[in-house]
Amino acid sequence: MKKIKGILITLIVIYVATAFLGENFLGGYNQGKLLERTGLYGLLGIGVAFVIITGGIDLSIGSVVCLVGCGVPWLVMKQDWSPEAAVMMAIVVSMCIGLWHGFLITKLKLQPFVVTLCSLLIYRGATRGLAEDQSQGFGGDYEAFRSWGTEAISVTSKFGIPYPFVILIVVAAIAWVFLNKTIWGRYLIALGNNEEAARLSGINTDRMVILSYVICSMLAALGGLLFILNGNSAQPSDFGNFYELYAIAAAVLGGCSLRGGEGTIVGVVIGTAVMQLLKNMINLVDWLKSHMEFLIVGVVLLVAVIADEIIKQRVRRQR
Amino acid sequence: MGGKLSFEIEFVVCLRKRSGVFLLVPSRVAGFDSCIMKRLVACTAALGAFAFSGCGEKDGGKESYALVTTGVASFWDICKKGGEDAGEELGVEVEVLMPSSGDDQRSKLEDLLAKGVDGISVAAIDPVNQAGLYDEVAEESILITMDTDAPTSKRQVYVGMDNYDAGWMCGELVKEAIPEGGEVVLFIGRLEQDNAKRRRQGVIDCLLDRGKDPSRFDAPGQSQIGEKYTVLATLTDQFDRAKGKANVEDMLTKHEGVAAMVGLFAYNPPLILEALKQAGRIGEVKVVGFDEDEVTLQAIKDGTVHGTVVQDPYEYGNRSIRVLHALVNGDTSVIPENKIIDIPARQIRKDNLETFWTDLNFKLGK
Repeated sequence: MKKIKGILITLIVIYVATAFLGENFLGGYNQGKLLERTGLYGLLGIGVAFVIITGGIDLSIGSVVCLVGCGVPWLVMKQDWSPEAAVMMAIVVSMCIGLWHGFLITKLKLQPFVVTLCSLLIYRGATRGLAEDQSQGFGGDYEAFRSWGTEAISVTSKFGIPYPFVILIVVAAIAWVFLNKTIWGRYLIALGNNEEAARLSGINTDRMVILSYVICSMLAALGGLLFILNGNSAQPSDFGNFYELYAIAAAVLGGCSLRGGEGTIVGVVIGTAVMQLLKNMINLVDWLKSHMEFLIVGVVLLVAVIADEIIKQRVRRQR
Repeated sequence: MGGKLSFEIEFVVCLRKRSGVFLLVPSRVAGFDSCIMKRLVACTAALGAFAFSGCGEKDGGKESYALVTTGVASFWDICKKGGEDAGEELGVEVEVLMPSSGDDQRSKLEDLLAKGVDGISVAAIDPVNQAGLYDEVAEESILITMDTDAPTSKRQVYVGMDNYDAGWMCGELVKEAIPEGGEVVLFIGRLEQDNAKRRRQGVIDCLLDRGKDPSRFDAPGQSQIGEKYTVLATLTDQFDRAKGKANVEDMLTKHEGVAAMVGLFAYNPPLILEALKQAGRIGEVKVVGFDEDEVTLQAIKDGTVHGTVVQDPYEYGNRSIRVLHALVNGDTSVIPENKIIDIPARQIRKDNLETFWTDLNFKLGK
């Protein structure tokens, strides 16, 4: 709870401010859309949180989103695969990507930054080649398949809990249990704190690091799948661009330390919500201009991180 | 249409610049540096050719031309097809390059010069600030522009239409869709590039019944209020599809009474439709599009999009190659006095959709 105090306060402040300043912010439609976006981006955040906790980084998330987001409709529409087969393919490919990253980082001792930066270029390039740079989508077909990204569990006539958010909650719950209630989670945090010490105390650190990259790539793939089901339009050259940075930002906002060994799943979800809320606020509040989006998001995030650090230091001193 | 700043490409360019010494060198010196590079590349290539074949002639003496686009999109694929068809007919080589940003366009143009193509047709991204770059290209090869002009540069001729006029035609479609007037929101990929600015301004000026003045520019965040029509805002997404869709959703939240939405880049109308469908407001909010995305065309057929304005990218590519070929062979009669080869835009509604779509599919070989 202490770890997420800062980001939780930020979320509440922005939420209340937008409720007063924005038009129709509290309407059911808008609330549903906010949950939907938090669901989509939150999956990427949780994925990268695992890697960050081990002290690593994954810059290839946006490109995995692109690979799956363009690859699945390409398989289904252009290669006549069934949606189930295409999804299976996405699962296998993303698992292999994670294993490959983990292998290069643990066995060949390459730096995570370099490995995943190369991957960022490779997967996007491969997708562009595969799809011949053509926009991918399902046209008007496969409504049932697409409903995973578009439908919601109705609560009122205007408000529903979108499936992507439900999926996020399920994933977050599993991730939380894994990280906090299993021995594997303890190992991850231990190795993030001090890999050498963790190894000497008998933890198979390589296996844990590989696992974290597999989780990250698979969640990026799940995110990519839901993004394309939701938006139905993906261009290989720009789909998912920058998404790794949104994911990393959300994870760090949510209390993950880039030095490793620290992080909370609830914090990452809240961090994602803050980012999406900010973007929504900029569109809904009249005097906030949309071309200032990066400026506003950057400043608010920095203020949140500074405030969080000050709170933490004060807590430490009081002890 | 256009390029974008993408993280990865930026990074690569950065690395490239670093390794090539000219990160902090003034542009003149940088130009000198790339000049040496070009010569080195040319020397190496010549040596290679000499060593392997003993003759310096390239590829059977065929002329080679290049089309350089502003970005990657289906729009440019049609253009590519037009260029390639012309190439086949004339028996010349045609290469089509699709850069991902302004910086990337620069390096692609430099690479083409190093390779030694006979002529280049480029779609300008930032006509004013890139004029210098285009001048450099024009000095070493034959340069013309297509789609977006760079009138201050030394390009020989422009092949395309006026985006301001095309925007105006789009405004006329909006007036047809909501004849009783109302609030309108515009969506576009980005406003940094000239064609986007002019296109958007054309729509606004038409809706507000102003006189034609392409140099006008209304701030994107401000509402433009006319007698019958109000343009509430223009939202950009920097080519991020999820953001583009979120923009539509946020506008549906903010302006419940919005009467029409206009998507000004090819992928915008499909995103508008998707958001409206999910909000259950299809048909209630009128949609007008730009360009010929398949989803947009299908929606016109279904009656969920009122109409769209299409350019003729096939003709841009095709005519570019023909003009370049004529110029290389010394025929300057292809250049009209005002240096603009006009390829007008067209309005597509339900009534003329079939003819247009059939022709488009034919050109794409579908």
